[in-house]
Amino acid sequence: MTVAPAEKAGITDLPKLGLGLGLRNTHFDHILNHWPDVDWFEAISENFMDSGGRPRQVIREVAERYPVVLHGVSLSIGSSDPLDMDYLQRLKLLAQEVQPQWISDHLCWTGVMGLNSHDLLPVPLTEATLDHIAARVHRVQEILGRPLILENPSTYLDFHANTLSEPEFLRALCERTDCGLLLDVNNVFVSCFNTENDPSDYFDSFPWSRVVQMHLAGHTDCGTHLIDTHDQPVRPEVWALFALAWQRSNGASTLLEWDGNIPSFEECHRELLKAKAYMKGGLAQLTGRYAPMPGALAVSNPVNFLVPDVMAGSAELEDR
Amino acid sequence: MSAPIELSDLQQWMQSALIEPKATSRQEIETRVRSTSRLSAVAALGIYQNSYHLRIAACMRDQFPALCYALGEGLFNDFVAEYISQAPPESYTLYDLGRRFAGFLQANRPDLDAPESEPWVDFIIDLARFERQIFSTFDCAGAEDLHLAQLTTPDPDLCVQPSLSVAAYGFPVGDYYHAVRQEKSPQPPEREPVYLAVLRKDYVTHTVPVSFAHFIFLQEMCRGGTVGSALSAVSQQLSQDLARVKLAWSEVSEIRDNWIEAGFFLDRSRA
Ligand SMILES: [Fe+2]
Repeated sequence: MTVAPAEKAGITDLPKLGLGLGLRNTHFDHILNHWPDVDWFEAISENFMDSGGRPRQVIREVAERYPVVLHGVSLSIGSSDPLDMDYLQRLKLLAQEVQPQWISDHLCWTGVMGLNSHDLLPVPLTEATLDHIAARVHRVQEILGRPLILENPSTYLDFHANTLSEPEFLRALCERTDCGLLLDVNNVFVSCFNTENDPSDYFDSFPWSRVVQMHLAGHTDCGTHLIDTHDQPVRPEVWALFALAWQRSNGASTLLEWDGNIPSFEECHRELLKAKAYMKGGLAQLTGRYAPMPGALAVSNPVNFLVPDVMAGSAELEDR
Repeated sequence: MSAPIELSDLQQWMQSALIEPKATSRQEIETRVRSTSRLSAVAALGIYQNSYHLRIAACMRDQFPALCYALGEGLFNDFVAEYISQAPPESYTLYDLGRRFAGFLQANRPDLDAPESEPWVDFIIDLARFERQIFSTFDCAGAEDLHLAQLTTPDPDLCVQPSLSVAAYGFPVGDYYHAVRQEKSPQPPEREPVYLAVLRKDYVTHTVPVSFAHFIFLQEMCRGGTVGSALSAVSQQLSQDLARVKLAWSEVSEIRDNWIEAGFFLDRSRA
Protein backbone atom coordinates (compact mmCIF):
# COMPACT_ATOMS: atom_id res chain seq x y z
CA MET A 1 0.00 0.00 0.00
CA THR A 2 1.53 3.32 -1.06
CA VAL A 3 0.94 6.67 0.53
CA ALA A 4 -1.91 8.56 -1.07
CA PRO A 5 -0.23 10.77 -3.70
CA ALA A 6 -2.18 13.83 -2.63
CA GLU A 7 -0.65 13.63 0.84
CA LYS A 8 2.85 13.11 -0.52
CA ALA A 9 2.62 16.21 -2.69
CA GLY A 10 0.88 18.21 -0.06
CA ILE A 11 -2.04 19.56 -2.04
CA THR A 12 -4.25 18.60 0.87
CA ASP A 13 -2.19 20.91 3.06
CA LEU A 14 -3.03 23.89 0.89
CA PRO A 15 -5.28 26.30 2.75
CA LYS A 16 -8.92 27.07 2.13
CA LEU A 17 -8.71 30.76 1.45
CA GLY A 18 -12.39 31.65 1.16
CA LEU A 19 -13.61 34.10 -1.48
CA GLY A 20 -11.05 35.95 -3.59
CA LEU A 21 -10.84 38.33 -6.51
CA GLY A 22 -8.50 38.71 -9.47
CA LEU A 23 -5.87 41.42 -8.98
CA ARG A 24 -6.57 43.75 -11.91
CA ASN A 25 -4.71 46.87 -13.11
CA THR A 26 -7.90 48.95 -13.02
CA HIS A 27 -8.38 48.17 -9.32
CA PHE A 28 -4.84 48.94 -8.13
CA ASP A 29 -5.63 52.40 -6.79
CA HIS A 30 -8.76 51.25 -5.01
CA ILE A 31 -6.98 48.33 -3.35
CA LEU A 32 -4.00 50.39 -2.22
CA ASN A 33 -6.20 53.19 -0.91
CA HIS A 34 -8.81 51.07 0.86
CA TRP A 35 -7.28 47.67 1.62
CA PRO A 36 -10.72 46.13 1.05
CA ASP A 37 -12.00 43.27 3.13
CA VAL A 38 -11.51 40.51 0.55
CA ASP A 39 -10.13 37.11 1.57
CA TRP A 40 -7.40 36.74 -1.06
CA PHE A 41 -6.18 37.76 -4.51
CA GLU A 42 -5.25 35.85 -7.63
CA ALA A 43 -2.66 37.55 -9.83
CA ILE A 44 -2.02 36.69 -13.48
CA SER A 45 1.65 35.67 -13.34
CA GLU A 46 2.58 37.14 -16.75
CA ASN A 47 1.29 40.53 -15.70
CA PHE A 48 3.85 40.75 -12.92
CA MET A 49 6.80 38.49 -13.68
CA ASP A 50 8.62 40.92 -16.00
CA SER A 51 7.37 44.08 -14.37
CA GLY A 52 9.95 46.64 -13.33
CA GLY A 53 7.23 49.18 -12.69
CA ARG A 54 4.07 49.69 -10.75
CA PRO A 55 2.51 46.21 -11.10
CA ARG A 56 5.54 44.69 -9.34
CA GLN A 57 5.33 47.26 -6.57
CA VAL A 58 1.58 46.68 -6.18
CA ILE A 59 1.84 42.90 -5.96
CA ARG A 60 4.57 43.22 -3.33
CA GLU A 61 2.34 45.42 -1.19
CA VAL A 62 -0.72 43.26 -1.75
CA ALA A 63 1.21 40.10 -0.88
CA GLU A 64 2.20 41.64 2.44
CA ARG A 65 -1.46 41.94 3.46
CA TYR A 66 -3.39 39.20 1.66
CA PRO A 67 -2.85 35.59 0.63
CA VAL A 68 -1.92 35.63 -3.06
CA VAL A 69 -2.11 32.93 -5.71
CA LEU A 70 -0.26 33.08 -9.05
CA HIS A 71 -2.35 32.08 -12.04
CA GLY A 72 -0.60 31.74 -15.40
CA VAL A 73 -1.81 31.74 -18.99
CA SER A 74 1.42 30.95 -20.86
CA LEU A 75 2.89 27.78 -19.38
CA SER A 76 1.52 25.85 -22.37
CA ILE A 77 1.77 22.54 -20.54
CA GLY A 78 0.07 20.72 -23.42
CA SER A 79 2.30 22.03 -26.21
CA SER A 80 4.49 19.82 -28.36
CA ASP A 81 7.16 22.55 -28.16
CA PRO A 82 9.75 22.16 -25.39
CA LEU A 83 8.94 23.81 -22.07
CA ASP A 84 10.03 27.46 -21.96
CA MET A 85 12.75 27.38 -19.32
CA ASP A 86 13.21 31.13 -19.35
CA TYR A 87 9.52 31.56 -18.57
CA LEU A 88 9.69 29.00 -15.77
CA GLN A 89 12.70 30.69 -14.19
CA ARG A 90 10.97 34.06 -14.23
CA LEU A 91 7.88 32.48 -12.73
CA LYS A 92 10.00 30.93 -10.04
CA LEU A 93 11.64 34.27 -9.24
CA LEU A 94 8.25 35.94 -8.96
CA ALA A 95 7.09 33.13 -6.66
CA GLN A 96 10.14 33.62 -4.45
CA GLU A 97 9.25 37.26 -4.13
CA VAL A 98 5.48 36.97 -3.69
CA GLN A 99 5.35 33.63 -1.81
CA PRO A 100 2.04 32.57 -3.37
CA GLN A 101 -0.16 29.95 -1.74
CA TRP A 102 0.08 28.01 -5.01
CA ILE A 103 0.77 28.40 -8.72
CA SER A 104 -1.78 27.46 -11.34
CA ASP A 105 -2.16 27.38 -15.11
CA HIS A 106 -4.44 25.64 -17.61
CA LEU A 107 -4.74 22.24 -19.22
CA CYS A 108 -4.07 23.67 -22.67
CA TRP A 109 -1.45 24.71 -25.19
CA THR A 110 -0.88 28.27 -26.37
CA GLY A 111 1.25 27.72 -29.46
CA VAL A 112 3.87 25.63 -31.24
CA MET A 113 6.98 26.29 -33.31
CA GLY A 114 7.89 29.23 -31.14
CA LEU A 115 4.62 31.08 -31.58
CA ASN A 116 2.03 32.09 -28.98
CA SER A 117 -1.61 32.52 -29.93
CA HIS A 118 -2.41 34.01 -26.52
CA ASP A 119 -5.33 31.61 -26.40
CA LEU A 120 -5.89 28.56 -24.19
CA LEU A 121 -6.22 25.91 -26.88
CA PRO A 122 -7.66 22.45 -26.22
CA VAL A 123 -5.42 19.39 -26.09
CA PRO A 124 -6.51 16.12 -27.68
CA LEU A 125 -7.62 13.99 -24.74
CA THR A 126 -5.70 10.78 -25.49
CA GLU A 127 -3.34 8.41 -23.65
CA ALA A 128 -0.42 9.73 -25.71
CA THR A 129 -1.16 13.33 -24.71
CA LEU A 130 -1.55 12.22 -21.12
CA ASP A 131 1.94 10.64 -21.14
CA HIS A 132 3.38 13.78 -22.67
CA ILE A 133 1.68 16.21 -20.27
CA ALA A 134 2.34 14.06 -17.19
CA ALA A 135 6.07 14.11 -17.94
CA ARG A 136 5.97 17.87 -18.32
CA VAL A 137 3.99 18.39 -15.11
CA HIS A 138 6.66 16.40 -13.28
CA ARG A 139 9.35 18.63 -14.74
CA VAL A 140 7.50 21.87 -13.90
CA GLN A 141 6.88 20.69 -10.34
CA GLU A 142 10.57 19.87 -9.98
CA ILE A 143 11.58 23.31 -11.19
CA LEU A 144 9.03 25.20 -9.12
CA GLY A 145 9.48 22.93 -6.14
CA ARG A 146 5.75 22.73 -5.49
CA PRO A 147 2.67 21.05 -6.94
CA LEU A 148 1.22 22.57 -10.07
CA ILE A 149 -2.49 23.36 -10.04
CA LEU A 150 -4.20 22.95 -13.43
CA GLU A 151 -7.48 24.44 -14.59
CA ASN A 152 -10.05 22.99 -16.97
CA PRO A 153 -10.22 25.46 -19.88
CA SER A 154 -13.36 26.56 -21.71
CA THR A 155 -13.55 24.61 -24.95
CA TYR A 156 -15.41 25.15 -28.19
CA LEU A 157 -14.58 21.97 -30.03
CA ASP A 158 -14.04 18.27 -29.57
CA PHE A 159 -11.38 16.40 -31.53
CA HIS A 160 -12.27 13.14 -33.24
CA ALA A 161 -9.03 11.85 -31.72
CA ASN A 162 -10.30 12.18 -28.12
CA THR A 163 -10.53 8.89 -26.28
CA LEU A 164 -10.91 10.23 -22.71
CA SER A 165 -13.34 12.67 -21.18
CA GLU A 166 -11.83 15.77 -19.58
CA PRO A 167 -12.54 14.57 -16.01
CA GLU A 168 -10.98 11.18 -16.83
CA PHE A 169 -7.94 12.88 -18.28
CA LEU A 170 -7.54 15.18 -15.27
CA ARG A 171 -8.04 12.33 -12.81
CA ALA A 172 -5.32 10.26 -14.49
CA LEU A 173 -3.01 13.27 -14.66
CA CYS A 174 -3.44 13.92 -10.93
CA GLU A 175 -2.81 10.28 -10.08
CA ARG A 176 0.40 10.25 -12.09
CA THR A 177 1.82 13.60 -11.03
CA ASP A 178 0.21 14.55 -7.70
CA CYS A 179 -0.82 17.86 -9.23
CA GLY A 180 -3.89 19.71 -7.99
CA LEU A 181 -6.87 21.09 -9.84
CA LEU A 182 -8.50 24.44 -10.31
CA LEU A 183 -12.09 23.72 -11.22
CA ASP A 184 -13.58 26.53 -13.27
CA VAL A 185 -17.28 26.02 -12.74
CA ASN A 186 -18.23 28.38 -15.54
CA ASN A 187 -15.88 26.55 -17.92
CA VAL A 188 -17.58 23.27 -17.07
CA PHE A 189 -20.91 24.81 -17.99
CA VAL A 190 -19.56 26.43 -21.18
CA SER A 191 -17.57 23.41 -22.39
CA CYS A 192 -20.37 20.96 -21.65
CA PHE A 193 -22.85 23.10 -23.54
CA ASN A 194 -20.51 23.48 -26.52
CA THR A 195 -19.58 19.81 -26.74
CA GLU A 196 -23.09 18.56 -25.81
CA ASN A 197 -22.17 16.96 -22.52
CA ASP A 198 -24.04 17.09 -19.25
CA PRO A 199 -22.41 19.11 -16.45
CA SER A 200 -23.74 16.66 -13.87
CA ASP A 201 -21.97 13.78 -15.62
CA TYR A 202 -18.84 15.92 -15.66
CA PHE A 203 -19.18 16.52 -11.93
CA ASP A 204 -19.89 12.84 -11.22
CA SER A 205 -16.63 11.74 -12.79
CA PHE A 206 -14.53 14.67 -11.57
CA PRO A 207 -11.69 13.93 -9.08
CA TRP A 208 -12.99 16.22 -6.32
CA SER A 209 -10.32 15.34 -3.80
CA ARG A 210 -7.80 17.14 -6.02
CA VAL A 211 -9.63 20.45 -6.16
CA VAL A 212 -7.59 23.21 -4.57
CA GLN A 213 -9.41 26.13 -6.08
CA MET A 214 -12.49 27.08 -8.08
CA HIS A 215 -13.25 29.84 -10.58
CA LEU A 216 -16.50 31.63 -11.17
CA ALA A 217 -17.11 33.90 -14.17
CA GLY A 218 -19.76 35.18 -16.55
CA HIS A 219 -20.14 33.92 -20.09
CA THR A 220 -21.89 35.06 -23.25
CA ASP A 221 -24.68 33.10 -24.88
CA CYS A 222 -24.22 33.17 -28.66
CA GLY A 223 -27.22 30.95 -29.41
CA THR A 224 -25.44 27.97 -30.95
CA HIS A 225 -22.64 28.12 -28.39
CA LEU A 226 -21.46 29.80 -25.20
CA ILE A 227 -18.31 31.90 -24.99
CA ASP A 228 -16.28 32.34 -21.84
CA THR A 229 -16.08 36.14 -21.97
CA HIS A 230 -15.57 36.96 -18.27
CA ASP A 231 -17.33 40.26 -18.91
CA GLN A 232 -20.54 40.01 -16.92
CA PRO A 233 -22.15 38.61 -13.77
CA VAL A 234 -22.18 34.88 -13.14
CA ARG A 235 -25.21 33.21 -14.74
CA PRO A 236 -27.83 31.55 -12.51
CA GLU A 237 -27.11 28.14 -14.05
CA VAL A 238 -23.47 28.51 -13.06
CA TRP A 239 -24.37 29.57 -9.52
CA ALA A 240 -26.42 26.39 -9.28
CA LEU A 241 -23.41 24.34 -10.34
CA PHE A 242 -21.26 26.26 -7.88
CA ALA A 243 -23.59 25.30 -5.01
CA LEU A 244 -22.91 21.65 -5.86
CA ALA A 245 -19.21 22.21 -6.43
CA TRP A 246 -18.84 23.96 -3.08
CA GLN A 247 -20.25 20.89 -1.32
CA ARG A 248 -18.27 18.40 -3.33
CA SER A 249 -14.97 20.24 -3.07
CA ASN A 250 -15.45 20.73 0.66
CA GLY A 251 -15.33 24.47 0.33
CA ALA A 252 -12.31 24.95 -1.94
CA SER A 253 -10.91 28.49 -2.28
CA THR A 254 -13.16 30.31 -4.70
CA LEU A 255 -12.35 33.18 -7.02
CA LEU A 256 -14.42 35.42 -9.29
CA GLU A 257 -12.86 36.31 -12.66
CA TRP A 258 -14.07 39.53 -14.32
CA ASP A 259 -11.82 40.54 -17.20
CA GLY A 260 -13.86 42.44 -19.78
CA ASN A 261 -15.81 45.68 -19.13
CA ILE A 262 -14.43 45.41 -15.61
CA PRO A 263 -16.72 47.27 -13.19
CA SER A 264 -15.63 48.97 -9.98
CA PHE A 265 -13.90 46.94 -7.32
CA GLU A 266 -16.98 47.16 -5.11
CA GLU A 267 -19.22 45.76 -7.83
CA CYS A 268 -16.86 42.84 -8.47
CA HIS A 269 -16.73 42.23 -4.74
CA ARG A 270 -20.54 42.30 -4.44
CA GLU A 271 -20.79 39.76 -7.25
CA LEU A 272 -18.25 37.55 -5.49
CA LEU A 273 -20.09 37.73 -2.18
CA LYS A 274 -23.24 36.37 -3.83
CA ALA A 275 -21.39 33.05 -3.53
CA LYS A 276 -22.18 33.04 0.20
CA ALA A 277 -25.85 32.36 -0.45
CA TYR A 278 -24.96 29.29 -2.53
CA MET A 279 -22.40 28.02 -0.05
CA LYS A 280 -25.19 27.57 2.47
CA GLY A 281 -26.82 25.13 0.10
CA GLY A 282 -29.31 27.55 -1.42
CA LEU A 283 -30.01 26.35 -4.93
CA ALA A 284 -30.54 28.90 -7.64
CA GLN A 285 -33.51 28.57 -9.88
CA LEU A 286 -32.34 27.08 -13.15
CA THR A 287 -33.82 29.96 -15.09
CA GLY A 288 -34.14 30.18 -18.86
CA ARG A 289 -31.21 31.34 -20.91
CA TYR A 290 -30.54 35.00 -21.52
CA ALA A 291 -31.08 36.55 -24.94
CA PRO A 292 -28.27 35.36 -27.22
CA MET A 293 -25.87 37.84 -28.82
CA PRO A 294 -24.09 37.48 -32.16
CA GLY A 295 -21.05 35.25 -31.68
CA ALA A 296 -18.76 37.38 -33.84
CA LEU A 297 -18.59 40.03 -31.12
CA ALA A 298 -17.75 37.76 -28.22
CA VAL A 299 -14.10 36.91 -27.55
CA SER A 300 -13.12 33.81 -25.64
CA ASN A 301 -10.34 34.11 -23.06
CA PRO A 302 -10.11 37.90 -23.27
CA VAL A 303 -6.60 39.03 -22.45
CA ASN A 304 -6.55 42.74 -23.17
CA PHE A 305 -7.32 43.42 -19.50
CA LEU A 306 -3.67 42.48 -19.02
CA VAL A 307 -2.60 45.49 -21.03
CA PRO A 308 -2.38 48.50 -18.71
CA ASP A 309 -4.01 51.79 -19.65
CA VAL A 310 -0.68 53.48 -20.18
CA MET A 311 -2.25 56.56 -21.74
CA ALA A 312 -4.36 57.31 -18.69
CA GLY A 313 -1.37 56.82 -16.43
CA SER A 314 1.06 59.12 -18.20
CA ALA A 315 1.70 62.75 -17.33
CA GLU A 316 1.10 65.74 -19.57
CA LEU A 317 3.75 66.79 -22.05
CA GLU A 318 6.29 68.79 -20.13
CA ASP A 319 8.00 72.00 -20.83
CA ARG A 320 11.44 71.90 -19.32
CA MET B 1 10.81 14.44 -23.64
CA SER B 2 9.75 14.68 -27.28
CA ALA B 3 6.08 15.05 -28.06
CA PRO B 4 3.98 12.33 -29.68
CA ILE B 5 3.93 12.87 -33.43
CA GLU B 6 0.13 12.99 -33.59
CA LEU B 7 0.12 15.78 -31.01
CA SER B 8 2.62 17.98 -32.84
CA ASP B 9 0.87 17.27 -36.08
CA LEU B 10 -2.53 18.31 -34.71
CA GLN B 11 -1.14 21.40 -33.02
CA GLN B 12 0.74 22.58 -36.09
CA TRP B 13 -2.40 22.11 -38.12
CA MET B 14 -4.61 23.98 -35.64
CA GLN B 15 -2.16 26.83 -35.21
CA SER B 16 -1.88 27.40 -38.95
CA ALA B 17 -5.68 27.32 -39.12
CA LEU B 18 -5.72 30.20 -36.61
CA ILE B 19 -3.06 32.23 -38.35
CA GLU B 20 -4.28 31.58 -41.90
CA PRO B 21 -7.97 30.64 -41.74
CA LYS B 22 -8.39 30.75 -45.51
CA ALA B 23 -5.68 28.16 -46.11
CA THR B 24 -7.57 25.49 -44.15
CA SER B 25 -10.02 23.28 -46.05
CA ARG B 26 -13.40 22.21 -44.77
CA GLN B 27 -12.46 18.59 -45.35
CA GLU B 28 -9.36 18.86 -43.18
CA ILE B 29 -11.38 20.47 -40.41
CA GLU B 30 -14.02 17.75 -40.55
CA THR B 31 -11.45 14.97 -40.26
CA ARG B 32 -10.02 16.60 -37.10
CA VAL B 33 -13.00 18.21 -35.38
CA ARG B 34 -16.31 16.70 -34.38
CA SER B 35 -19.56 18.44 -35.36
CA THR B 36 -22.39 18.72 -32.85
CA SER B 37 -26.10 19.15 -33.46
CA ARG B 38 -25.71 22.92 -33.06
CA LEU B 39 -22.18 23.56 -34.31
CA SER B 40 -20.50 22.25 -37.42
CA ALA B 41 -16.80 21.43 -37.17
CA VAL B 42 -16.05 24.49 -39.31
CA ALA B 43 -18.10 26.76 -37.05
CA ALA B 44 -16.49 25.32 -33.90
CA LEU B 45 -12.98 25.95 -35.20
CA GLY B 46 -14.23 29.34 -36.39
CA ILE B 47 -14.80 30.38 -32.77
CA TYR B 48 -11.07 30.01 -32.13
CA GLN B 49 -10.10 31.66 -35.41
CA ASN B 50 -12.36 34.62 -34.78
CA SER B 51 -11.32 35.06 -31.16
CA TYR B 52 -7.62 34.89 -32.03
CA HIS B 53 -7.86 37.91 -34.30
CA LEU B 54 -10.24 39.93 -32.11
CA ARG B 55 -8.19 39.26 -28.98
CA ILE B 56 -4.93 40.45 -30.48
CA ALA B 57 -6.53 43.46 -32.16
CA ALA B 58 -7.98 44.48 -28.76
CA CYS B 59 -4.55 44.27 -27.13
CA MET B 60 -2.95 46.26 -29.93
CA ARG B 61 -5.60 49.00 -29.66
CA ASP B 62 -4.78 49.25 -25.97
CA GLN B 63 -1.05 49.51 -26.72
CA PHE B 64 -1.45 52.06 -29.54
CA PRO B 65 -4.49 54.18 -28.61
CA ALA B 66 -3.30 57.34 -30.41
CA LEU B 67 -2.38 55.45 -33.56
CA CYS B 68 -5.78 53.74 -33.47
CA TYR B 69 -7.37 57.18 -33.23
CA ALA B 70 -5.23 58.52 -36.11
CA LEU B 71 -6.02 55.62 -38.44
CA GLY B 72 -9.58 54.96 -37.30
CA GLU B 73 -10.39 51.62 -35.71
CA GLY B 74 -11.22 49.84 -38.99
CA LEU B 75 -7.98 50.70 -40.75
CA PHE B 76 -5.98 50.13 -37.56
CA ASN B 77 -7.46 46.62 -37.23
CA ASP B 78 -6.64 45.92 -40.89
CA PHE B 79 -3.01 46.86 -40.31
CA VAL B 80 -2.92 44.68 -37.20
CA ALA B 81 -4.41 41.71 -39.08
CA GLU B 82 -1.69 42.01 -41.73
CA TYR B 83 0.99 42.53 -39.08
CA ILE B 84 -0.08 39.47 -37.15
CA SER B 85 -0.18 37.29 -40.23
CA GLN B 86 3.35 38.43 -41.21
CA ALA B 87 4.73 38.40 -37.67
CA PRO B 88 2.65 36.15 -35.41
CA PRO B 89 3.23 36.67 -31.66
CA GLU B 90 6.33 34.92 -30.39
CA SER B 91 6.48 35.80 -26.74
CA TYR B 92 4.63 34.54 -23.67
CA THR B 93 4.00 38.16 -22.77
CA LEU B 94 1.40 40.36 -24.41
CA TYR B 95 3.66 43.34 -23.78
CA ASP B 96 5.78 42.09 -26.67
CA LEU B 97 2.90 42.26 -29.18
CA GLY B 98 3.66 45.78 -30.39
CA ARG B 99 7.44 45.49 -30.44
CA ARG B 100 7.75 45.00 -34.18
CA PHE B 101 4.75 47.09 -35.26
CA ALA B 102 6.57 50.29 -36.29
CA GLY B 103 9.09 48.19 -38.22
CA PHE B 104 6.25 46.37 -39.94
CA LEU B 105 4.61 49.67 -40.93
CA GLN B 106 7.94 50.94 -42.25
CA ALA B 107 8.58 47.77 -44.30
CA ASN B 108 5.04 47.75 -45.69
CA ARG B 109 4.50 51.47 -46.24
CA PRO B 110 1.94 52.06 -48.98
CA ASP B 111 4.10 54.76 -50.64
CA LEU B 112 7.10 52.51 -51.36
CA ASP B 113 6.83 53.10 -55.11
CA ALA B 114 6.21 56.85 -54.84
CA PRO B 115 9.10 59.23 -55.68
CA GLU B 116 8.80 60.89 -52.28
CA SER B 117 7.55 59.58 -48.96
CA GLU B 118 4.01 60.55 -48.03
CA PRO B 119 3.93 62.72 -44.90
CA TRP B 120 0.97 60.87 -43.36
CA VAL B 121 2.78 57.56 -43.70
CA ASP B 122 5.86 59.01 -42.02
CA PHE B 123 3.61 60.38 -39.29
CA ILE B 124 1.90 57.02 -38.68
CA ILE B 125 5.26 55.27 -38.34
CA ASP B 126 6.59 57.93 -35.98
CA LEU B 127 3.46 57.74 -33.86
CA ALA B 128 3.81 53.93 -33.65
CA ARG B 129 7.43 54.35 -32.54
CA PHE B 130 6.49 56.92 -29.94
CA GLU B 131 3.65 54.84 -28.50
CA ARG B 132 6.02 51.90 -28.19
CA GLN B 133 8.50 54.17 -26.37
CA ILE B 134 5.75 55.25 -23.96
CA PHE B 135 4.39 51.72 -23.49
CA SER B 136 7.82 50.25 -22.78
CA THR B 137 8.53 52.93 -20.21
CA PHE B 138 5.44 52.03 -18.17
CA ASP B 139 6.78 48.72 -16.93
CA CYS B 140 10.52 48.65 -17.64
CA ALA B 141 13.13 48.78 -14.87
CA GLY B 142 13.00 52.20 -13.24
CA ALA B 143 14.55 54.36 -10.58
CA GLU B 144 11.85 53.98 -7.93
CA ASP B 145 14.10 51.93 -5.66
CA LEU B 146 17.34 53.72 -6.61
CA HIS B 147 19.11 56.92 -5.57
CA LEU B 148 18.26 59.76 -7.90
CA ALA B 149 20.92 62.44 -8.32
CA GLN B 150 20.62 65.68 -6.32
CA LEU B 151 21.39 69.18 -7.55
CA THR B 152 24.67 68.90 -5.62
CA THR B 153 25.73 65.62 -7.28
CA PRO B 154 28.97 66.32 -9.19
CA ASP B 155 28.91 65.79 -12.96
CA PRO B 156 31.20 62.72 -12.98
CA ASP B 157 28.68 60.92 -10.73
CA LEU B 158 25.69 61.49 -13.01
CA CYS B 159 24.36 58.56 -15.02
CA VAL B 160 20.94 58.13 -16.59
CA GLN B 161 18.23 56.31 -14.71
CA PRO B 162 17.10 52.95 -16.21
CA SER B 163 13.76 54.07 -17.68
CA LEU B 164 15.05 57.14 -19.57
CA SER B 165 15.04 56.93 -23.36
CA VAL B 166 15.32 59.58 -26.07
CA ALA B 167 14.16 59.47 -29.66
CA ALA B 168 14.03 61.76 -32.68
CA TYR B 169 10.79 62.19 -34.62
CA GLY B 170 9.77 64.02 -37.77
CA PHE B 171 6.43 65.14 -36.29
CA PRO B 172 5.28 66.49 -32.93
CA VAL B 173 4.01 63.06 -31.88
CA GLY B 174 4.10 63.92 -28.17
CA ASP B 175 1.68 66.83 -28.64
CA TYR B 176 -0.54 64.67 -30.81
CA TYR B 177 -0.55 61.80 -28.29
CA HIS B 178 -1.47 64.06 -25.41
CA ALA B 179 -4.17 65.78 -27.47
CA VAL B 180 -5.73 62.36 -28.12
CA ARG B 181 -5.43 61.59 -24.45
CA GLN B 182 -7.33 64.77 -23.61
CA GLU B 183 -9.94 63.91 -26.26
CA LYS B 184 -9.17 67.04 -28.25
CA SER B 185 -9.64 65.27 -31.62
CA PRO B 186 -6.33 66.48 -33.10
CA GLN B 187 -5.66 66.66 -36.85
CA PRO B 188 -2.52 64.99 -38.22
CA PRO B 189 0.30 67.49 -37.63
CA GLU B 190 2.72 69.12 -40.11
CA ARG B 191 6.31 67.94 -40.35
CA GLU B 192 8.55 69.29 -37.63
CA PRO B 193 11.65 67.67 -36.15
CA VAL B 194 11.15 66.92 -32.45
CA TYR B 195 13.27 65.17 -29.85
CA LEU B 196 11.53 63.53 -26.94
CA ALA B 197 12.89 62.20 -23.69
CA VAL B 198 10.56 59.72 -21.96
CA LEU B 199 11.05 58.48 -18.44
CA ARG B 200 9.21 57.15 -15.43
CA LYS B 201 9.44 58.73 -12.01
CA ASP B 202 7.41 57.51 -9.04
CA TYR B 203 5.51 55.24 -11.45
CA VAL B 204 4.33 58.14 -13.64
CA THR B 205 5.54 58.31 -17.24
CA HIS B 206 6.73 61.76 -18.37
CA THR B 207 7.41 63.05 -21.87
CA VAL B 208 9.91 65.90 -22.06
CA PRO B 209 10.66 67.68 -25.37
CA VAL B 210 14.35 68.53 -25.73
CA SER B 211 16.49 70.38 -28.30
CA PHE B 212 18.68 68.62 -30.87
CA ALA B 213 21.84 69.32 -28.86
CA HIS B 214 20.21 67.97 -25.71
CA PHE B 215 19.03 64.92 -27.64
CA ILE B 216 22.64 64.19 -28.69
CA PHE B 217 23.78 64.68 -25.11
CA LEU B 218 21.12 62.39 -23.61
CA GLN B 219 21.48 59.78 -26.33
CA GLU B 220 25.18 59.46 -25.48
CA MET B 221 24.36 59.19 -21.80
CA CYS B 222 21.68 56.55 -22.50
CA ARG B 223 24.40 54.52 -24.23
CA GLY B 224 26.24 54.46 -20.94
CA GLY B 225 28.21 57.67 -21.44
CA THR B 226 29.25 60.25 -18.87
CA VAL B 227 28.64 63.99 -18.87
CA GLY B 228 32.16 64.31 -20.32
CA SER B 229 31.60 61.93 -23.23
CA ALA B 230 28.14 63.40 -23.85
CA LEU B 231 29.60 66.90 -24.16
CA SER B 232 32.18 65.54 -26.60
CA ALA B 233 29.40 63.96 -28.66
CA VAL B 234 27.57 67.30 -28.79
CA SER B 235 30.74 69.08 -29.86
CA GLN B 236 31.36 66.56 -32.63
CA GLN B 237 27.79 66.37 -33.98
CA LEU B 238 27.25 70.12 -33.92
CA SER B 239 30.83 70.85 -35.09
CA GLN B 240 31.36 73.14 -32.16
CA ASP B 241 34.45 73.72 -30.16
CA LEU B 242 34.48 71.36 -27.15
CA ALA B 243 35.63 74.13 -24.80
CA ARG B 244 32.61 76.23 -25.80
CA VAL B 245 30.24 73.31 -25.32
CA LYS B 246 31.66 72.65 -21.85
CA LEU B 247 31.41 76.29 -20.97
CA ALA B 248 27.76 76.41 -22.09
CA TRP B 249 26.98 73.34 -19.96
CA SER B 250 28.55 74.79 -16.84
CA GLU B 251 27.18 78.32 -17.31
CA VAL B 252 23.58 77.39 -18.05
CA SER B 253 22.92 75.17 -15.05
CA GLU B 254 19.17 75.56 -15.53
CA ILE B 255 18.99 72.63 -17.97
CA ARG B 256 21.02 70.39 -15.69
CA ASP B 257 18.92 71.32 -12.65
CA ASN B 258 15.67 70.77 -14.52
CA TRP B 259 16.73 67.34 -15.67
CA ILE B 260 17.90 66.36 -12.22
CA GLU B 261 14.63 67.50 -10.70
CA ALA B 262 12.71 65.57 -13.37
CA GLY B 263 14.58 62.41 -12.32
CA PHE B 264 16.75 61.93 -15.43
CA PHE B 265 19.86 60.94 -13.50
CA LEU B 266 21.07 58.61 -10.79
CA ASP B 267 23.96 59.30 -8.47
CA ARG B 268 26.54 56.74 -9.58
CA SER B 269 28.45 57.04 -6.29
CA ARG B 270 25.41 55.85 -4.32
CA ALA B 271 24.55 52.91 -6.61
FE1 LIG C 1 -10.84 30.33 -15.16
